[in-house]
Amino acid sequence: VTDGTLAGARAAKHDEHARARRLEWVTIACLAPSIALVYFAVGSSQAMKTAWVEDVLSLAPPAAFLVAVRFEARPPSTDHPYGFHRAMAIAFLCAAMALFTVGAYLLAESLATLLRAERPTIGSVEFFGRAVWHGWVMMAVLALTSVPPVVLGRRKRALAQRLHDKALHADAEMNRADWQTAGAGIVGLAGIGLGFWWADAAAAALISVGVLRDGATNLKRVGKVLMDVAPTAVGTDAIDPMPARLRVALERMPWVAEAEVRLREAGHVITGEAYVVARTETALVANLEAAGRALRAMEPRLHELAVVPVRTLARPASTAAE
Amino acid sequence: VWPSLLAVAAVACGIPRDPRGTLDRVRGGTMRVGVAERAPWVVLDRAEPTGAEPRLLRVFARALGARIAWTPGAESELMEALERGELDVVAGGLTASTAWRERVALTRPYRTTSTAYGPGRAVSGHTSEHVMAVPPGENGWLRALEASFDAGAVTPAGASGASTGRAP
Repeated sequence: VTDGTLAGARAAKHDEHARARRLEWVTIACLAPSIALVYFAVGSSQAMKTAWVEDVLSLAPPAAFLVAVRFEARPPSTDHPYGFHRAMAIAFLCAAMALFTVGAYLLAESLATLLRAERPTIGSVEFFGRAVWHGWVMMAVLALTSVPPVVLGRRKRALAQRLHDKALHADAEMNRADWQTAGAGIVGLAGIGLGFWWADAAAAALISVGVLRDGATNLKRVGKVLMDVAPTAVGTDAIDPMPARLRVALERMPWVAEAEVRLREAGHVITGEAYVVARTETALVANLEAAGRALRAMEPRLHELAVVPVRTLARPASTAAE
Repeated sequence: VWPSLLAVAAVACGIPRDPRGTLDRVRGGTMRVGVAERAPWVVLDRAEPTGAEPRLLRVFARALGARIAWTPGAESELMEALERGELDVVAGGLTASTAWRERVALTRPYRTTSTAYGPGRAVSGHTSEHVMAVPPGENGWLRALEASFDAGAVTPAGASGASTGRAP
């Protein structure tokens, strides 16, 4: 049952969803030439090879997001009675996994280079009839390809907060990983130019630790989401106070003796149940329906709330504090 | 020689530098060159090596004011010595597709031939990129050698043998 408030809130979000989709398309459009450019600037440099693999992997979050968006909007069917909202959780999983993989790959590659004491060889290339050190070309390519992720990442981060979109947020973190590794690559190449063969691998190893940590954090979060953790704010592990707010609202209703609310996230939206001990069974059905409508009006993200009458409440042990 | 001198000087003081300082050591000193027989690129039938590659390396050494210590040997021995840093260059008619490319650093091709040489071995349409090998990671040294090839390419034909074209 969709009431007016929910429809209105959704309409307001509609533009921002469209913006998010546009940002993801722009990301793919920026990555594709970047992948081609880096591929041809690679030469024998491990640094550039790593940057390239990373670029390819960072296609995963926007691709997963765009696929999920297509499913998410579908109405519930007999086969999928709860709808397709959780498609977005799968996109979040893909993004988190890609981020983790990039970090792990980067760390493994750079540590292997350091351990084997591999000295990166960078010669010169012909550039419009002049011989140029390939390192300069690679630095220019890296600098060029790091601009889009800076801009896109910032926008996605802000939009993800407003849309409560965790997949988009994880993709923004992937963009941060992109420009950070490009920056590390530039520093590393400059180090190689100055005669420090280990500079590139050391810079990459340093950055990869942060990327790996981001990836692990996101994997943990997506795991929690898939395990029906209580709703959390985007980019944090902080539990949203919404269940408590709803419980208080219910208990303020004159016909309610006691209430308990449990919620979970399904992509952008929140669903769950409210268990209510009624003081009187008079007009119970009308009261339950009115309560459901009132609660959904309170919280635009609350998509579905089953209000269930019970004789006694069985409160979960650990959430009593909240 | 002049252009190669200039090109070498231009990169000598700047970036990239060598982790092991090969370029600084060779300048005004000794350039240790490993040569593996591979006519017509490297010919070892006289007291001093001859052929296209020794000729190029002599131009390079002259630009650096270095004398050359030639070490003849089998390609695999020379490559291993190069990897250990016991040689500065290996010349042996190598092409860019050599299996050693994973373990040592190859120069940019100083010459591209479009047909194989030798009686009965002409394969039309096959391109060979002729390169030399230097120790891995000695980027300043590599850059200087490549600059010397480039400079050689602009001198009158035949002076250094570094023009692009058919095999001799």
